[in-house]
Amino acid sequence: MIQLLRIELYKIFRRPRTYISFGIITAIVLVIQLAMLSDGKSFLSFIMSGVNEQFDIQGNVLNGYLVTYIILQSLLIHIPLLVALVAGDALAGEANAGTLRLLLTKPISRAKLVLVKFTSSVIYTVLLIVWLAVVGLFGSLALFGQGDMINLKSDAFVMLLQHDVMWRYMAAFLFATLAMTTIASLSLLLSAFADNSIGPIISTMGIVVVITILSNLELPLFDKIKPYLFTTHMIGWKGFFDDPIPYGAIGFSALVMFLYTVGFLATTIFYFNKKDIKS
Amino acid sequence: MRKLLGILAVCLFVSIGTIKASDADKLYYSLRTKVLSVKDYTADVRMKIDINRMRIPQLKGTLFFKSPDKMRLERHGGLSILPKKNINLTLSNLMPDGKVTVIDMGTSTIDGKKLRVLKVIPEDELSQIILAKIWIDEANMLILKTETTSRNDGTIAMDLSFGKYASYALPDRVIITMDVKDYKLPKGITLDYNDVPTPPTPPGEKKSKTQKGTIQISYLSYDINKGISDDKFKDKE
Repeated sequence: MIQLLRIELYKIFRRPRTYISFGIITAIVLVIQLAMLSDGKSFLSFIMSGVNEQFDIQGNVLNGYLVTYIILQSLLIHIPLLVALVAGDALAGEANAGTLRLLLTKPISRAKLVLVKFTSSVIYTVLLIVWLAVVGLFGSLALFGQGDMINLKSDAFVMLLQHDVMWRYMAAFLFATLAMTTIASLSLLLSAFADNSIGPIISTMGIVVVITILSNLELPLFDKIKPYLFTTHMIGWKGFFDDPIPYGAIGFSALVMFLYTVGFLATTIFYFNKKDIKS
Repeated sequence: MRKLLGILAVCLFVSIGTIKASDADKLYYSLRTKVLSVKDYTADVRMKIDINRMRIPQLKGTLFFKSPDKMRLERHGGLSILPKKNINLTLSNLMPDGKVTVIDMGTSTIDGKKLRVLKVIPEDELSQIILAKIWIDEANMLILKTETTSRNDGTIAMDLSFGKYASYALPDRVIITMDVKDYKLPKGITLDYNDVPTPPTPPGEKKSKTQKGTIQISYLSYDINKGISDDKFKDKE
């Protein structure tokens, strides 16, 4: 199993496409950091106008912690695409290259192959999130400095003391990893259905975009289904920046995403076991 | 004889009223002099802001005050938050200055203490303060409570507790209650994680746009009348 995983990781990290994701994250983060450096104050005065009307806030408001929060919020749609680039290619890429049949002639079960492909996708996802933490969080802290963090919700103003923020980011990144693992499992499922990698990657993005829109539409029509959509729970990391932290809600979100991940993975194994491999 | 007695009674009533009024005036002015004797101070404070929709932890810092209206909270690298009011939230600023009309409202008992109550109306029509009601501990010459109605900031109430700095009329603890406007940001900007759905407003009940908020400031120590430069109060990043 370990040997198989090593081979899979070798395949992933041998491809230049894999590094495009890291490049894209770096580019987006740098663009946002640059924008915040040049025009962050006017952005802040816009989003804080309601609070500034009544309170005089002094100090380094635009610090690394707040900038990282803005970065994470902006990357909500982009990271799933980057995860899908690898996970969507895991099975379909082999089929497209004509190596899947050859791979299955080896003495390994199909379920094991799916699990290895999934694990390697998760490792890639973890590395992506770690990279995001390095350039996003630590890069922003280096550029903008530390300080108390302000979290602006639509109907609340939350202030977190400097010493109380770092662990929240670590928890948020852990939660984001779980959310992206769900995306990886969805992408792997779609990859099992396809014989070329473009289909699963685009399908994953299509599903994520459509369901995210449904999750965010403030229409009573969708209120009943919202709690069961995984995109509703993908932003659960934000809960760690609230006070008090809604552990119950975060736990429920994590459970929903875990169940989705298991469901997608089980369906992939079930389908892949029965699939007639022709290439 | 009856007429004479009547005139005497009226004279007595008017003179008592005048004595009482001038007594109230005297009391107010001497209290104001005592409060204004503090030209500046630096105090180590703990501040707890309890305002609906604002979740702010207890803040520790140094509060700088310079008469008449400069105030700044410094938090050793952290953010400082103070209400942006047209009148400063210090006792000296919640007591109308210049010429005032003082009305004696008798006495009232708060926490078992009998306090003298005065209503103060500034004669200056441009004054930010419209009316101030103050509760005074006459024995110690201290103001224990104020309720100030201002032109732009609604009513600000202040409850004060005194300790070792009572001789300067500087409190150990102040609880400020004031009107705070509600605020909202578009959800499209914040992309909220809706952990707790907002309860709907009951039919027929109008949601108020202003709410009461309290700020509790505990003063741990004071450094009084040592002189503070105006630069200390300039905006810093």
